[in-house]
Amino acid sequence: MTFQGIVVLNVIALALLLWVLNLVRHGRLYVGYGVIFVAAIIGTMLLLSVPWLQSGVTRVIGAVFPASALTLLALCFIVLMLLYILTQITIVSNRLSKLVQQLAIERARAEGTHVSLGSRAKRE
Amino acid sequence: MTQPSKPVLIAIPAYNEAGTIAAVVGRVRASLPGYDLLVVNDGSGDATGQILETLNTTVATHLCNLGYGRAVQTAIMYALDCGYDALVTLDADGQHHPEQIAGLLREFDAGGWDVLIGSRYVARRGYQDAPLGRRIGMQLFSMLVRLVMGQRVFDTSSGMKVIRRTVFDPLTHWHFVDFHAEALVYLMRLGYRIGEFPVTVAARTQGTSMYTPLNYFKYPLKTSMLVLLGIIEAALTRRRHRS
Repeated sequence: MTFQGIVVLNVIALALLLWVLNLVRHGRLYVGYGVIFVAAIIGTMLLLSVPWLQSGVTRVIGAVFPASALTLLALCFIVLMLLYILTQITIVSNRLSKLVQQLAIERARAEGTHVSLGSRAKRE
Repeated sequence: MTQPSKPVLIAIPAYNEAGTIAAVVGRVRASLPGYDLLVVNDGSGDATGQILETLNTTVATHLCNLGYGRAVQTAIMYALDCGYDALVTLDADGQHHPEQIAGLLREFDAGGWDVLIGSRYVARRGYQDAPLGRRIGMQLFSMLVRLVMGQRVFDTSSGMKVIRRTVFDPLTHWHFVDFHAEALVYLMRLGYRIGEFPVTVAARTQGTSMYTPLNYFKYPLKTSMLVLLGIIEAALTRRRHRS
């Protein structure tokens, strides 16, 4: 792979890494998914940046040519789609969790037997 | 023991703890008779729910299993809604001794802590009796907290904690895995005081630990990532508050 190719792909990977971290920080991507993406992106950047590692892996898996630009673009597209789908799943999952928590709290408050009169009086 | 001047809620997150929950609730009531008690049934699939119905205690039931962190968060949200000044959490597996909560609360008030951890390791400063996987994890997170905060926390994964009302809000506004190292670092970065108080725990006799073999790999990665993001989030929160 040319030096230009390595730089471009590393920039894409870095942007993706920052995006994933930001999604996790805002709770839009579940941290478990985030960890997988971060590990994969750092691994890819390492492979791209260390030529002997890249050729070594190519040899080990029995490949002859380095990945074509088209294959890399296709992979990028798949990763983006995966991220989008997982983000949507996380958002729905967060909403469901909030709903379940709120329902549990409302039902517990409706029971209301735990707050003794003495405890209330002291609080007031 | 009488109810303290400021109301305190004792919360027990429970998931599939049918074998121990009745005994734990009974021991809490016996040792802390004036205190309010909430059990968060985190979508248990066994008889935990049915047992809790017979115990005449307040139960917040998750309709499905959301995980330990969410169960603790439900207890925090409940305590916030109901106006409690502090929340005590302890595990439902019977490993914690509710009799030690009184001492924990005394130190909590005397020391003015925002979070006080009931720590298994602060007194002897070692992890000798823990299984290898957990020992490595606890060393790792204790060192990580020390590295980023300069303060050693020996037991980052203890389920026995006292949490002051001042930190209820930050703990419900950001997301955590299990309210362990990631939550402690986040709160420390926001300037809250975290302390440890020595407690003893019994060996688990029933049920299974939440740490499965897969979790031994997943948990450190997820927690480490949230520790780093928590530092960033806390910095941004401080900046927002300043401006």
